[in-house]
Amino acid sequence: MKKLLTVLLASFMLLTACSSNTNNANQGEGNTPSGSNGSKQEITVWAWDKVFNIGAMEFAKKVYAEKNADLTVNLVENAQNDIIQRLNAGLNSGTTKSLPNIVLIEDYRAQSFLQAYPDAFFALDEFINPSDFADYKIGPTSFNGKQYGVPFDSGVAGLYVRTDYLQEAGYSVDDLQDITWDQYIEIGKAVKEKTGHDMLTQDPNDLGLIRMMIQSAGSWYLKEDGKTPYLKDNAALADALETYKKLMDAGIVKVISDWSQFVGAFNSGDVASIPTGNWITASVKAEAEQSGKWAIVPLPTLANTESSVHASNLGGSSWYVLNVDGKEAAAEFLKETFGSNADFYQTLVTEIGAIGTLKAAAEGEAYSAPDEFFGGQTTISDFASWTEQIPNVNYGMHTYAIEDIMVVEVQNYMNGADLQTVLGNAQTQAESQIR
Amino acid sequence: MSTAKKGMSIQRKSNLTGWLFVSLAVIMIVVFYFYPMLQALLLSFKSGTGMNLEFVGLDNYKRLFTDTTFRTALTNTFIYLIVQVPIMIILALFLSVLLNNSQLRFKGFFRTAIFLPAVTSLVAYSVIFKYLFATDGLVNKFLMNLHLIQTPIAWITDPFWAKITIIIAITWRWTGYNMIFYLSSLQNIDNSIYEAARIDGASATRQFFGITIPLLKPIILFTSITSTIGTLQLFDEVMNITKGGPGNATTSISQYIYNLSFKYSSDFGYAATVSYSIVVIIIILAFLQFKLAGDDK
Repeated sequence: MKKLLTVLLASFMLLTACSSNTNNANQGEGNTPSGSNGSKQEITVWAWDKVFNIGAMEFAKKVYAEKNADLTVNLVENAQNDIIQRLNAGLNSGTTKSLPNIVLIEDYRAQSFLQAYPDAFFALDEFINPSDFADYKIGPTSFNGKQYGVPFDSGVAGLYVRTDYLQEAGYSVDDLQDITWDQYIEIGKAVKEKTGHDMLTQDPNDLGLIRMMIQSAGSWYLKEDGKTPYLKDNAALADALETYKKLMDAGIVKVISDWSQFVGAFNSGDVASIPTGNWITASVKAEAEQSGKWAIVPLPTLANTESSVHASNLGGSSWYVLNVDGKEAAAEFLKETFGSNADFYQTLVTEIGAIGTLKAAAEGEAYSAPDEFFGGQTTISDFASWTEQIPNVNYGMHTYAIEDIMVVEVQNYMNGADLQTVLGNAQTQAESQIR
Repeated sequence: MSTAKKGMSIQRKSNLTGWLFVSLAVIMIVVFYFYPMLQALLLSFKSGTGMNLEFVGLDNYKRLFTDTTFRTALTNTFIYLIVQVPIMIILALFLSVLLNNSQLRFKGFFRTAIFLPAVTSLVAYSVIFKYLFATDGLVNKFLMNLHLIQTPIAWITDPFWAKITIIIAITWRWTGYNMIFYLSSLQNIDNSIYEAARIDGASATRQFFGITIPLLKPIILFTSITSTIGTLQLFDEVMNITKGGPGNATTSISQYIYNLSFKYSSDFGYAATVSYSIVVIIIILAFLQFKLAGDDK
């Protein structure tokens, strides 16, 4: 009996030792803010992309430290997928202990978090003024009339073009200003014929181009309520798909399957243009030898859709404060940096090339600086002015669910299926999946 | 202490001790296995995004039958299963018999070399495969230089070839693992049986089908069941090599569950329903395999 007791006691000791260990580990990570009453406070931030998002936060940390030295900001870099997974798991289980105070969420996904976990986020209306930011950023970052996100980077899109290839094919940059996608395809054919280079890359699994096209026309996969699938009878989407098919059939597309091939294609000079978000600038400039050979022109429009403008968005994300201890400190931190500080945004532009969406920032000096890499073009101020024209659409909760359905149906369409049938099928599937 | 000792027979005491030893493991299994399984079953009757879950009865199960993505994922998984598991089992059997040859030199080296893939990280090897099989990757360069093909094969971006790529990848990763099972049981087969067969004039093929296969039967059954289960849970390779694409030509059921939980607006209820469908399928398949290959009685 004595032995038995010893064994039992020992096992209990072991168990408690294990559990207390995990507690210690949690505190060690600094995920639990050390109480909101003390003068010293600690907050944790989760974001992806070391250079871009984490880099921006590093500067924010520096700026804020001058105002309030008592706040310690822990930056944790995680892949975007991991953040989503950990947020979902944490919020669902109701254990907020392991969650950060501030988290970066992509705009396409923001509503699925705000609506799925209604009390998990902290409203920021008392801290920031939504009208200070680009209009199109407000849809994704607010819910039920409350502002939850501090809009961060602009995903404003442009068409990056190789001026030397264009010249060889007989075009100047001016010929590409304010064109339609149909004209773009014609130019692409000429470039391919004269220089042998493809016009652009496309990943059949990523419909970013179609998303840019429909947002430029103020349309989305979902209706304005953000819930009803809007695929069938969506004229802008049909136009975008027809254009996409023309593009793919023109023999000017290099098919790729991932990000590194995407970057590799323009760094090695394989393609003559990149229609994408401004965040690609850093990757384009990474190939210093191509300096002076690039220019950025406004995104083409859909030829048969009246509402289509020369501005759209791809990606972009915003900062959110979780409804946990330390939320006021976190909100205050965001307010003083990303929320209102126009000077801070100048630093972001010069240091990491991140274009924010705070309207006041566009008047700063850094925004009007010419960029020699792009032949002296004032790229930042161009992007900033296009940002203001981006149509505001409601991304809703289901962008990625519908995108996966669309990818399959678009493949069918490419292989010769009828457009209306394809969109009808997609609509039926989306309706059964989204409820 | 001495009062407690009274009234307890030696028999009962040792029984109690036994149960106490077992109890730790039992409690752990119940808390960390059975309880979550029960909760998941309950969850599979709920639906909604994130925290907004509500009971929907059998709606999720009805949705399964009309869900085209689920159907595609299921078909893909079965294609992997039907094509890949037999290839792998036969290959593993073949290799193990070769490596069991007592005249073979550098046996240790070959065994290690073939087993090595099984200890590499799933993600690491998937990423390497993705680059090997890229359109301008090493495999295409190699085949073109050998003039076996004229234009590069779209290993990752073509629906048919993408499936082949996945099958090649999992075969590479798991063949050595299964081979080890066969090798160890081959070593348990008494050499005198083969000797007797040789004296009787049985050819090598005859020996293989008449002695090796029947004696390895339990292990073959075991490996085919574990491989079936493994294939049904396929995730890392698909996620990393093709992301389920092109379209959803290579999506597996596990990846669909992941997408439902984390990629789309998370619907954990429906994801649990899909998970339970795998449970049901595995039970049916294991039962079938026992019936087909198990005891003859």
